[in-house]
Amino acid sequence: MRGFLISRLAHALPAAWVILSVIFLLSRGLTNQPTEADGSLAGNLAVHVTTPTQNRLAEYALRKRRGLDLPLFYVSSRATPASGGVAWRWRWNGVHNQYHVWLCGLLRGDLGRSFRDNQPVTTLVSRALTCTLPLTIGAFITIAGAGWGLTLLLAHYRSIRPVVVTALHFLQTLPLFVVALLLLLLLANPDFLDWFPAYGLARPENSTTGLYQLLSSLYHSVLPLFSLVLVSLPSFVVQWHNALQQELKADYILTARAKGVRPSLVIRRHALRNALLPAITYLTDLLPALVAGAVVVELIFALPGMGRLIAESAAARDFPVVLSGVVLIALVRLLAQILADWLYYQADPRIKLEA
Amino acid sequence: MKQLLFGFLVVMSSVLGACSSPQQKSASPIRIRWERDPENLDPLILPNENALEAANLLYSSLLFVDPSKQQFTPCLAEALPSVQLKDSLTLLTYRIRREAVWDNGKPVLAQDVAFTLKVMNCPGLPIESNQSQWGFIKDIQLDAQDPRRFTLICAGRSPEYKWSSGDYIILPEYPLDPQGQLRPFSLASLRADTAGDRHTPAIKAFVTRYKQAQLDHHPERLPGCGPYVLEAWEPGRYLTFKRKPTWWADALRSEFLPLQAYPQKLDYQIIPDVATAVLALRRGDIDVYPMMPAREFQHLRQDSTNQPALSFYTADSYKMITACFNTKQAIVRDKLTRQALSLLFDVPALIEATQLGMAYPSAGLISPKLGPLYNDSLPLPAYNPTAATALLRQAGWQRQPSGGWSRRSTDGQVQKLALTLSYRTTDPAFETIALQLRTAGSKLGIPVQPQPLESSVFWDRLRSGTVDMYLFTITGNPFVYNFAPILHTQSIGSGNYTGFGTAASDQLIEAIAAEEQPRRQAQLLRRLQRILHEEKPLTVLFFLRSRLAASSRLTNLQVSGLRPGYSATAIQTKSAPVQ
Repeated sequence: MRGFLISRLAHALPAAWVILSVIFLLSRGLTNQPTEADGSLAGNLAVHVTTPTQNRLAEYALRKRRGLDLPLFYVSSRATPASGGVAWRWRWNGVHNQYHVWLCGLLRGDLGRSFRDNQPVTTLVSRALTCTLPLTIGAFITIAGAGWGLTLLLAHYRSIRPVVVTALHFLQTLPLFVVALLLLLLLANPDFLDWFPAYGLARPENSTTGLYQLLSSLYHSVLPLFSLVLVSLPSFVVQWHNALQQELKADYILTARAKGVRPSLVIRRHALRNALLPAITYLTDLLPALVAGAVVVELIFALPGMGRLIAESAAARDFPVVLSGVVLIALVRLLAQILADWLYYQADPRIKLEA
Repeated sequence: MKQLLFGFLVVMSSVLGACSSPQQKSASPIRIRWERDPENLDPLILPNENALEAANLLYSSLLFVDPSKQQFTPCLAEALPSVQLKDSLTLLTYRIRREAVWDNGKPVLAQDVAFTLKVMNCPGLPIESNQSQWGFIKDIQLDAQDPRRFTLICAGRSPEYKWSSGDYIILPEYPLDPQGQLRPFSLASLRADTAGDRHTPAIKAFVTRYKQAQLDHHPERLPGCGPYVLEAWEPGRYLTFKRKPTWWADALRSEFLPLQAYPQKLDYQIIPDVATAVLALRRGDIDVYPMMPAREFQHLRQDSTNQPALSFYTADSYKMITACFNTKQAIVRDKLTRQALSLLFDVPALIEATQLGMAYPSAGLISPKLGPLYNDSLPLPAYNPTAATALLRQAGWQRQPSGGWSRRSTDGQVQKLALTLSYRTTDPAFETIALQLRTAGSKLGIPVQPQPLESSVFWDRLRSGTVDMYLFTITGNPFVYNFAPILHTQSIGSGNYTGFGTAASDQLIEAIAAEEQPRRQAQLLRRLQRILHEEKPLTVLFFLRSRLAASSRLTNLQVSGLRPGYSATAIQTKSAPVQ
């Protein structure tokens, strides 16, 4: 097992490094313009009129402060006109380049500072995760638990199968933003059912107890959590249910039944375990989303989570934050793949763990 | 079973409903919707309009815009500065009000203004934007007799100096530089020595102290002389400002809005999604929804169930949507083609479709509401495909049997009339405009390809000049008429993305900016509008009306066309004044 883990990590880490390097070079290579130049104040005929030279100087100073004036990579190329076409001239930039600075910072655990608000990226990411993780983990547990219950229910009660499966297929077709808005308009609407808050998180109040805070937080999380659950649960149940139905047709199930084992025991002890593989794939695929957040839900319910952080940073070209988000998600994805392999082995020992 | 489930939900709802902040309502703050977080409240940075609004609650400037009068009014200063022209310099003399004090009771002095200007030029701090905006202030002379009086020495001459020289936040010297370490340095020396923070110990110490204060997220560490203090800030969620028990301007009982502050608490709630924000307003979770999209505004206004609880306001703004041409592109290099294409915009229909009627057309960059400055002899933009066809023919375009248009350029190349219309994806109105032009173009055989672009890509394309036509929002103001940033040849590539400009137009733009006589300036402005009307580097499609919906319990919102569209500090409740 240890060998398997070491070997997988040894393969995964270089892959992660290549992915991140490509993302770094692509994102910064596309543009080097500072974010202020693209900000909401652009297009204003301001009272303070600046000359183009002043603007260019300010832009250069800003780029310098952010380290964007350095060459992008160790080598750079420039096209120069030559007889019969264009000649590429290569130049060695040494270690004074953006990639080297970023990589050294990454190895030291320093993810840099946000261009937008000058906060350390680790602070921003950890703050966003404190909002995202309770929601996504809650949704993950609910999906796993409800999926298990619903799959068993469908296996036990054939009569409800057509209705439930049709409903699940219908839910599966709904995009997340539709589900979130529907929940909002149905359950947080003064014209219909005004049961839940429309947005935000519970505000910390000094005068209240911890239990009150917890209840209040749960109350505020109901709609975003259900949005995530309603979008992911149907496909999970449908896949698991289909796998279970295949298993229930197998010979060993017939043998078990012939031996007089109760149908519920046949399902739980024999068939369900063997039908676990698609469920494992589905659930481990959800793991990166735990840290990536759900940008749609976070926007609609005004939650300052990871999805919103990464989306807003990408729009504002806040490279340090975007790259840190990608680093985190890529690492969790690689770990999720390793975990999936291990869980496959646990569910079906016939599967061999190979590095 | 059903009744049981319903009963359970009702009980849970009422139990949990009781958890939802009962104290908020009793404290009765004014709750305002913001679309985004201010992100950074460092007085040297203030990256967006929400940050500017927040900073104006915490700090004060020498001058401030009074939205009700739509002009600069004195805030910390006693009066507008007296102007003296000397050689190539402009000398502006201010005197700070006797009543203006910091939170510790010490008076705001000229020394604080000098300190602020030095901070705005201190190497090692994020001063890029400040240096470019207020770089014209070369020095400050303190009056030896009167510690509240000072003179700003500005390079060159410009009427706008009178206002812009006083439109920045004044910082207190006592908490940031208690030992006066920056005093020995002149503005010029700080500006010249860009590495001063590395080799001059006093500057280095100051920079370290400034950075350690982390004003970007802890503005409460720097006591400003504005009416509010920051009580709470959860990034991405909310900001709460609390009124100071005593603010120096209270004693003035001034009629000027910037010197009034009524709400005891201002609570800005960050709700990015429009649908959620509308729901929050209807539920009473927020009180003020500024800059509401037209569709939602109209829908709410027409729904009679909202009438008693909500009030609706509109004001003519200075924000306009324009269709601009990249005059460097061969097919739109000549003015006749640009004029022809401008005639394909059906402006009244676009106003109805995108703004539901809450906008107004204009013949040029000046709002028709500005009276004599607006050239009313020019026709409003009109949809006229027949005239467009005639103009295209005059421009040398010939209709081809295939239905398209082509012409031979001076170098013998065949040009085909087909263009892309680029716009940012942020505003759905742009898409409607692009589709309308595409439809109108296709009727005449002109292929117009709408090109929605992500914001940063859009700006890159503008800078690199790789667009044919683009839709652009320009925000004007009623104080300064300087169009150099968007129309002067020196700004080509860095604001003037149309590439338009001639020696005559440059001269006229400069003359308008330098003209101090209102009557003469109006004449020049009317001339510029005529030139732009003929040359058509851009077409103003319409000016927007700013829209605001608010709880009916509020009054005195001072809704205006200037950003942010209301005056938070002026808001009062109808039942009883908050203060």
